[in-house]
Amino acid sequence: MKRPLGTIAGARSGDKGGDANLGVWVRSDEAYEWLNGFLTVEKLRELLPEAQDVSRYELPNLRALNFVLHGLLGDGVASSTRFDPQAKALGEWLRGRVVEIPEELL
Amino acid sequence: MIRIGNASGFYGDRLSAMREQLEGGHLDVLTGDYLAELTMLILGRDRMKDSSLGYAKTFLRQMEDCLALALDRGVKIVVNAGGLNPEGLARKLDAKVGYVTGDDLKARFPEALTANAYLGAWEIADCLKQGAQVVVTGRVTDASLVVGPAAAHFGWARDDWDRLAGATVAGHVLECGTQATGGNYSFFTEIDVTRPGFPIAEIGEDGSSLITKHDGTGGAVTVDTVTAQLLYEIGAPEYLGPDVTTHFDTIRLDEDPRGVRISGVKGSPPPDTLKVCLNTLGGFRNSTSFVLTGLDVEAKAALVRRQLENAIGDEGLTWTLARTDQADAATEEQASALLHVTIKTTDPKRAKGFSRAAIELALASYPGFHVTAPPGDGTPFGVYKAAYVGRDEVSAKAVML
Repeated sequence: MKRPLGTIAGARSGDKGGDANLGVWVRSDEAYEWLNGFLTVEKLRELLPEAQDVSRYELPNLRALNFVLHGLLGDGVASSTRFDPQAKALGEWLRGRVVEIPEELL
Repeated sequence: MIRIGNASGFYGDRLSAMREQLEGGHLDVLTGDYLAELTMLILGRDRMKDSSLGYAKTFLRQMEDCLALALDRGVKIVVNAGGLNPEGLARKLDAKVGYVTGDDLKARFPEALTANAYLGAWEIADCLKQGAQVVVTGRVTDASLVVGPAAAHFGWARDDWDRLAGATVAGHVLECGTQATGGNYSFFTEIDVTRPGFPIAEIGEDGSSLITKHDGTGGAVTVDTVTAQLLYEIGAPEYLGPDVTTHFDTIRLDEDPRGVRISGVKGSPPPDTLKVCLNTLGGFRNSTSFVLTGLDVEAKAALVRRQLENAIGDEGLTWTLARTDQADAATEEQASALLHVTIKTTDPKRAKGFSRAAIELALASYPGFHVTAPPGDGTPFGVYKAAYVGRDEVSAKAVML
């Protein structure tokens, strides 16, 4: 069913110099299995078109994925001209995107 | 078991947190993180104006209020509030104070405004073993503020990788204060986060921990709130630090009646190099936001852009048109788009002249011209960079006053 990703996923994001990190987690093993298959680098780029050079890491023990969005913030928070220069709300933006979620996870 | 609290996640965090943590229940150690990458730049500019400054002044205010209380209760204070001047801050405190020095690498990076290696836990542990009641550091990794006291308390060895890694995870959970207890939490509607309490880690001899908070404080410590904080500002699962490499893919979290248990964390030797936080002055910046309401938003944006660039040239300007407007809107605000423009330049006069040029358009531009706030005189901005140096190039020291 079409629902915002944040219906089942939490997220937290922030800055590390010119890179942003975006952690996404879910609350059951079934939901993690789905998330891990669904939220590829390509899918993240589709949902957040600003994301270009992306690294993706799996943390099954936390039912989480961590993305590093390289270079998103230019030369760091003090220099960035990006809206939200510390990428604090990047995760909430992602949670607001509407995606196809299996009904049994809702 | 050692019970370690946190009372600050950044320079500017809740001033009363120190007192709340001291009065709320028992603690062995109270820590506070005051240094973000950006904070080092702010302190660098403080130090340029007055070389006796360069530390987090709010911590001094907290100590004026709470140092006697902490000493009375036997709670040790461990903070990185020393910033660029740990000795200067340490000398202002009336207690048995130790400070950590050696992180300043300005001599090695003369072009930088600030250059500080991320030191680790062992100098903090040294100060505590020598009886310090307060330990003040400059740039150490945030987690070291927790790892140091645990290592001193249990007498851990430098190659107790799993123990150090376990404490590093506890430190990572604590370092952003209330972000571990429901602050900035995606599922905030499920708990009461009106005034989240500050977090506490009860660390065991094996490095495992229980994350909790004082009874009666707000927020919550759940597997979800702790997971959220574990995901903050991380990269690959191999989390590199000066004392240990912590493997985040080995962390196990379990719900407990008093909070969340952290166990199973594996560690391995740290890298041969230390990370250095470099801030250089990048130049001067200034910005404003034009409000574009109603019809012809793109054309309005093009006009004001052409006008400003004709006046001062386009060098260093970044334009962003945020189409927040809706057609046929029922409120003026919903009918409006925002055109943001920022100038970055090495010339402070050009940054200041930007304001004048923008305001001179006020009666000569698109219909409905106004700005969200008039631009100021421009401010200097920093450029952050990480560098790496060999361990032998840094001599960290614990000094007792």
